[in-house]
Amino acid sequence: MGDPGGGEGCPHGEPPAVLPPHSQQCSASGPAARSVSSRHAVPFYGADLWAEQPRSPLPIPIPTTPLGSEHHPDPNSRHHPLPGAIPHPSGAPQGVDPEAFSWFQAVDADRSGYISVKELKQALLNSNWSAFNDETCLLMINMFDRSRSGRMDVYGFSALLRFIQQWKNLFQQYDRDQSGSISFSELQQAFSQMGYNLSPQFSQLLLSRYAQRSSNPSIQLDRFIHICMQLQSLTEAFREKDTGMVGNVRLGYEDFLTMVMTRML
Amino acid sequence: MFDRENKGGVNFNEFTGVWKYITDWQNVFRTYDRDNSGMIDKNELKQALTGFGYRLSDQFYDTLIRKFDRQGRGQVAFDDFIQCCVVLQRLTDVFRRYDTDQDGWIQVSYEQYLCMVFSIV
Repeated sequence: MGDPGGGEGCPHGEPPAVLPPHSQQCSASGPAARSVSSRHAVPFYGADLWAEQPRSPLPIPIPTTPLGSEHHPDPNSRHHPLPGAIPHPSGAPQGVDPEAFSWFQAVDADRSGYISVKELKQALLNSNWSAFNDETCLLMINMFDRSRSGRMDVYGFSALLRFIQQWKNLFQQYDRDQSGSISFSELQQAFSQMGYNLSPQFSQLLLSRYAQRSSNPSIQLDRFIHICMQLQSLTEAFREKDTGMVGNVRLGYEDFLTMVMTRML
Repeated sequence: MFDRENKGGVNFNEFTGVWKYITDWQNVFRTYDRDNSGMIDKNELKQALTGFGYRLSDQFYDTLIRKFDRQGRGQVAFDDFIQCCVVLQRLTDVFRRYDTDQDGWIQVSYEQYLCMVFSIV
């Protein structure tokens, strides 16, 4: 992609001189970040998740190729769910877990062979029986939708369920008191075990952003998944820029925009 | 954005904020949707954002269209247009806060960078 942020001369793009409409909207502050900049004597911004043995199972890698695309069912097979057709009643398509298949059929209320964000919401539940939030459902659809149509077929759904189950296992592991949600200390522990070296202020920031307001804010499964995936993705992006592995980068305005936008899940 | 208490929804008072917000953006959109197609193409998007004061490369506009064109038509629908502008604005705001000498460059640590992004998504 071009200059890794260390180049001289004018950066690509300029922030606007005149603020766009609604610029007086409040945005969350980031003062906590400044205080931790010199926290680490050795510039070390996260364990080498790939270089050394992880202490606990690695976070689930974000699929880079659309899942389900590797399955190319024989069009002559009676198990092939043609778009728009009602899935074959007697068995799951090849490569699809039977339980996932029956679940899919239950969720695909209009029998279209695809499920939408709305239908997906009905399928995914947190431990307190609340539905997965819209953001996470949209994220899931985008990741597992190979057709970019904003909906998911049975293969994508099956892969999604496996993916969520892996995350759920991790979540339950980190939810030490089995409360069904992850508290501040549990979140800190989770990050540490995943190999991240992040300050308590950072965990605090996440909780204030993602947890529901209560005396003891904690994070449900859906947001936990979302957070971890964002963290992974953003860390990858940062590493691409920080080729010297110093834990610090110089970013131009447009660089920054591109980094975040292309990676934002 | 308007759900001040992280309830997962907006109450009536918060809703009036939403309503005004959307109608304001609708007016902006109409101004730039020159051919009245209901969609904004790359050139119209460029005009809109340049009009707001952004100075962005042509390559970046390709990135924006790719990112916000949910219908896959190489154009941006109204709701995606709003999202694009809001995201751009928030990212710019946070970048500015760290760009103390306003030269278009920032030097950030890993955690600062994470905080920047997590504070707006």
